Amino acid sequence: MNIAAVEAWVEAPLRRFVDDARARLALLLHPSGQVMAQAGFTREVDVMTACALAAASHATAGELGRRVDGKPFRGLHYAGPDKQLYMAAIETTRGAYVCLTVFDSASSLGLVRIYFDDLQRELSAAAPASEPVAAPALAVDFEADLNRNLAALFGREEPSVTKRPGGVPLS
Amino acid sequence: MSLVNYATREITCKIVYYGPGRSGKTTNLHYIYGQVPDDRKGKMVSLATQTDRTLFFDFLPLDLGMISGFTTKFQLYTVPGQVYYQTTRKLVLQGADGVVFVADSQSRQLDENVESFQDLHANLADQGVEARSVPLVIQYNKQDLPPELILSTNELSDALNFRGVPEFSADALHGPGVFETLKSISELVLKRLAGNGATR
Repeated sequence: MNIAAVEAWVEAPLRRFVDDARARLALLLHPSGQVMAQAGFTREVDVMTACALAAASHATAGELGRRVDGKPFRGLHYAGPDKQLYMAAIETTRGAYVCLTVFDSASSLGLVRIYFDDLQRELSAAAPASEPVAAPALAVDFEADLNRNLAALFGREEPSVTKRPGGVPLS
Repeated sequence: MSLVNYATREITCKIVYYGPGRSGKTTNLHYIYGQVPDDRKGKMVSLATQTDRTLFFDFLPLDLGMISGFTTKFQLYTVPGQVYYQTTRKLVLQGADGVVFVADSQSRQLDENVESFQDLHANLADQGVEARSVPLVIQYNKQDLPPELILSTNELSDALNFRGVPEFSADALHGPGVFETLKSISELVLKRLAGNGATR
């Protein structure tokens, strides 16, 4: 299965998890919705959108749990006609992540949960100690790159400063 | 929390459009979505009520292209503006790298603008974020309405822009100001990401 990870230490535990749990898709994300790793996603399923929705769903479940049970719900299971998903938080020394797992009749919720516990342990063991992350060094003229790309996005020439009203820097 | 993948040289940033209900946050995203070529955008997701008010958020992934050798992606979110969606606003705001505050220029909406702006600062503080450290741009939307219905940009600026952040007049329905707002917040976010202008 195709796996892509932002940080290399995530890859091996995630690969073992999807193989052992016979998952169809897996997504490891930061609670704010940023993807950390994905397994099995193709172009038909947009990873960023899945992350945004998973983060929202996880945050909602957590907040609902706090309100009705005094503490956040830790796991969430949805069952569809063909596919199911299980989502839960994973704590590591690098911080908290959310793992979304999609599986079908080749697996089961019980199996996924068993191997999810293993994934949690393996990620915790593999996580390097938290260290300050260097900021990316942007070129001095990065604004020229930005202007060019934004102009291309909006199908127009590079913008010039306009006068108000109608899209003006006011200062 | 912006994400920098040094292996693939990718930067991903989260920008949240904040503001009172019906100020034009979703309209901003719709306009952007309509202008951007298909290969530079993902699918726009709107979690809305039956009356098309934003229930949770709108989400639009954008591929800005290569900037300083990094493939740069922005994720644009809106929050629901109505007062009673306070909890979901807080959730969407989590991890934001930059905020666009979309104010409604109509005179009768001034109190809602001020309340929403205070709500933004309170929600950032709740998350342990110093509001002044977050890149912020203010957009005064609906400046196309008849002058007797709206406040001037100077009046709105006096009421909201005590931080002196970049501010733009706009008509998000038809486009003026949308591009300039996005460009400005993009610059601020990337500058901050590079370490307050630490460039090479």
